[in-house]
Amino acid sequence: MAANFWNSTHHKQLLDPEEADVVHPIDKERGFTLEDFKLIKMHMANYIARLAQNVKVRQRVVATAVTYMRRVYTRKSMTEYDPRLVAPSCLYLASKAEESTVQARLLVFYIKKLCNNFFLTWYLNSDEKYRYEIKEILEMEMKILEALNYHLVVFHPYRALSQLLQDAGMSDSTQLAWGLVNDTYKTDLILIHPPHLIALACIYVASVLKDKENTAWFEELRVDMNVVKNIAMEILDFYDSHKAITDDRVNAAMHKLGLKA
Amino acid sequence: MAIAAPGQLNVSESPSWGSRSVDCFEKLEQIGEGTYGQVYMAREIRTGEIVALKKIRMDNEREGFPITAIREIKILKKLHHENVIKLKEIVTSPGPEKDEQGRPGKLYLIDIIDGNKYKGGIYMVFEYMDHDLTGLADRPGMRFSVPQIKCYMRQLLTGLHYCHVNQVLHRDIKGSNLLIDNEGNLKLADFGLARSFSSDHNGNLTNRVITLWYRPPELLLGSTKYGPAVDMWSVGCIFAELLHGKPIFPGKDEPEQLNKIFELCGAPDEVIWPGVSKIPWYNNFKPTRPLKRRLREVFRHFDRHALELLEKMLTLDPSQRISAKDALDAEYFWADPLPCDPKSLPKYESSHEFQTKKKRQQQRQHDDNAKRQKIQHQQQHARLPPIQQSGQGHAQMRPGPNPAMHGSQAQVVAGPSHHYAKPRGAAAGPNRYPQGGNPSGGYNHPSRGQGGGGYVSGPYPPQGRAPPYGSSGMPGPGPRGGNNSGYGVNAPNYPQGGPYGGPGAGRGSNMGGNRNQQYGWQQ
Repeated sequence: MAANFWNSTHHKQLLDPEEADVVHPIDKERGFTLEDFKLIKMHMANYIARLAQNVKVRQRVVATAVTYMRRVYTRKSMTEYDPRLVAPSCLYLASKAEESTVQARLLVFYIKKLCNNFFLTWYLNSDEKYRYEIKEILEMEMKILEALNYHLVVFHPYRALSQLLQDAGMSDSTQLAWGLVNDTYKTDLILIHPPHLIALACIYVASVLKDKENTAWFEELRVDMNVVKNIAMEILDFYDSHKAITDDRVNAAMHKLGLKA
Repeated sequence: MAIAAPGQLNVSESPSWGSRSVDCFEKLEQIGEGTYGQVYMAREIRTGEIVALKKIRMDNEREGFPITAIREIKILKKLHHENVIKLKEIVTSPGPEKDEQGRPGKLYLIDIIDGNKYKGGIYMVFEYMDHDLTGLADRPGMRFSVPQIKCYMRQLLTGLHYCHVNQVLHRDIKGSNLLIDNEGNLKLADFGLARSFSSDHNGNLTNRVITLWYRPPELLLGSTKYGPAVDMWSVGCIFAELLHGKPIFPGKDEPEQLNKIFELCGAPDEVIWPGVSKIPWYNNFKPTRPLKRRLREVFRHFDRHALELLEKMLTLDPSQRISAKDALDAEYFWADPLPCDPKSLPKYESSHEFQTKKKRQQQRQHDDNAKRQKIQHQQQHARLPPIQQSGQGHAQMRPGPNPAMHGSQAQVVAGPSHHYAKPRGAAAGPNRYPQGGNPSGGYNHPSRGQGGGGYVSGPYPPQGRAPPYGSSGMPGPGPRGGNNSGYGVNAPNYPQGGPYGGPGAGRGSNMGGNRNQQYGWQQ
C-alpha cells in the first residue's frame, strides 16, 4: 500500500536538522543570520495563521501552508523568494491542496486588511511591503509548486494525535496537546521528524505539564522513546527561547528583507 | 493513515528538486484533447523513451494552478500500482525569456502566444500507452475475445480496488480513460476528476462527475454523498459495452440517461433501493410508469457468469452494488475460459479515441462530400466500420469511391488479422455497430500523415497473424443484427475526448455543454 506516510514523499524528504537550518549564500551576503532566518519563518508562520483565521480555513490548511513555506526555504533564498509573498501564496496553494479553496481575490482582500491594522503596529509605514496583487500571488504559486517539485502531500501530527490521546486515556488533554502541535509549526520540526513522533512528543510534554503519569503507556508503544524525548526537548527549548523573542528582534530581521522586490 | 506500521520503508529515491524543461522532450503527435489541455506523444531526447505529455492549460485560469491538476498530481503521487498510470514527472516550458536567448524549444510558439512563463507551460509526463480501450474497441473490425475481455476487466477491477482501498474515487471511469499498452496491460488514467474520500468525512461531493453515459443513478438523482460504488457503476457500463459491442446507455442528457437506465434496470422504489425517495431530485425524475428490470432478458445471450456479475454491477442501489474486491472474486473470473495473460494478447498499432475520433471527423467530411456528389452511402453511425479486404466477405462491403483525402494509406494495414471473429450473419458483421457500412474508413492515421515524428509507420504489422482466438465464444450482439431492443445507436456526437484528457473529455453526449464544463471549483 502506498498511500501512507512511510512511502510518501513527505517521509522520503525528511531532513536532518542541519539541512533545515540553511542560510543561503545570497541571503548571508545580505547579512541574514541563522537566527534571522528562523525568526522570519516563525513570523511568517504567524502571518499565515493570522490570514487563515480571516479567510476561515481549517488548521490543517495552515499546517500544510507553513510546511510548504518551510520546505521552500530549504531550497530557496529569501532574497529571491520574498517571504511576505511566499507566505500568502503558500496558504493559497495549501487551501487548494487541502480542499478548502480560498479565492485569490478574497485572500488579497484580507492581506490588505491585515496590513492596515495588525502589521501597522509592527512596522510603521511598512504595511505596503505586505501588499500584493492577485497576479503576484498566482505567479508565486507557480514558483512554489516548482520549488516543491509538486510534492503537495503533507502528513500532520493532528490525525495521530487524537487517536493516541484516546488510547493513552488523555482525552481531557486534547486542547493542550493540540495547542502544542500548533506551536511546533513555529519551528522546522515538521521537516525533520515523522508526524506521529511529533504527536507523541506533544503528548509527552502535555503529560508532564499535566503531571500525568503514563510511562507505562509510552513504554508499550513500539517507538524509540529517545527520539520522542528529544523532540519534546526541542519543543520545550523553543518555548524557552520564545520568551526572549521580542518584537524588536523580529523587526530587525524583517528589516533586512528591505523593500519589496 | 499517519501511523503506519513501521518496517515498510521504501528505499528513498533521492529527491530531486526543481522541474526539468519540456525541452527534454520532442513532441511527436497529439494523441488526446480535453478541456484540461492537449496530450502529446513525445520522445525524451536523452533516452529515446516514448512518453505522453499532458499539458495543463493555464490560460483562462483566474485561480492560478487548476485545483483539478492539484488533485490529480496529489493522487497520482500517492498511487503506485501496475494498473494505475504512472506520473513520471512534471516539466515546465522554459518560457519566452529563455527562448529569446537562443533556445527556441519545440513549444516556442505556444509560449509566445501565451506570453507568460507559466501560462500553458506545465506538462505532466506519463508513461506512454499505445491505446485506450475505446480507441482499441473502435478499431475497424475489432472484436475482443472472452479471455481478453476477462483480462481487461480483471485489470480494471484490480486497479480500481487499489484506488478505493487508498480512498480515491476515480469519478471518470470510461473506455477512453482506460489505457492499454502492447503488453496487454490496462491502466487507469485521467485522475482529473478524482478525489480522496474518507469514510469519516461527511462532506458533500459534487454530483456533476463521470461522463454521462457511465454515470450512476444516484448521481443523476442528485446525491452528494456517495462512495466507491459510483465507479463500480461505470465499470458495469464498460463491461456491458465490451460484451454488447456498443455503449448501453447512450443518453443525450440527464433525463434521458435516467430513462435509459430505468428501462433496462427497472425503476427504483423504496423496496429495491431503500432511501431512494430522499435523494434530492428523485421526485423530478421518478418514472411515470412502473418499469421492470429487463437486464437479464435484454442480455440473455451473455454467458451466465458474465450476466451474473453484470447484474451485481448495474444494481441501482449503490449500497447493494458489488465492490471491486467482491467483483474480483466473482465466478466469472474463475470459470472457463479463464482470463488470459496480458502478455498473450495481440499487439495492435497505436489507437487512441482521439485519433479514431479524428478519423471519424474525416469520415464525416467525406460523407458530406459523398452526399454532395449524390453517391448513395448511408453512414450515420459513429464507430468506424471495418476495413474490408477482399476475401473477408462482409455483406456491407460495397465498392465506394476511394476518398482522396485519406485513401492512400488505406492499404497500409492488412485487415484480416484484426478480425478475431468470422463475420456472423450478414447484418451484424464483425463491426461493433451493425448499421455500419463504409468500407473506405479504414486505417488512416491522419495525424500521422501530417504530423510527422518518427512514429509514423505502424510498428506492429498485423499481417500474417492468425486469430489467436477462435470464433467460438465470441461475445457481442452477433447475429442479432440491427435489433437493438431500445438501445439504438443514435449517432452520438463525439466531443473532445482523450485518454489522458481532463474533465469534460470524452464521448458522452452533451446536455448544454455539461460534459465540457469545468468542474474545477466544485468539491
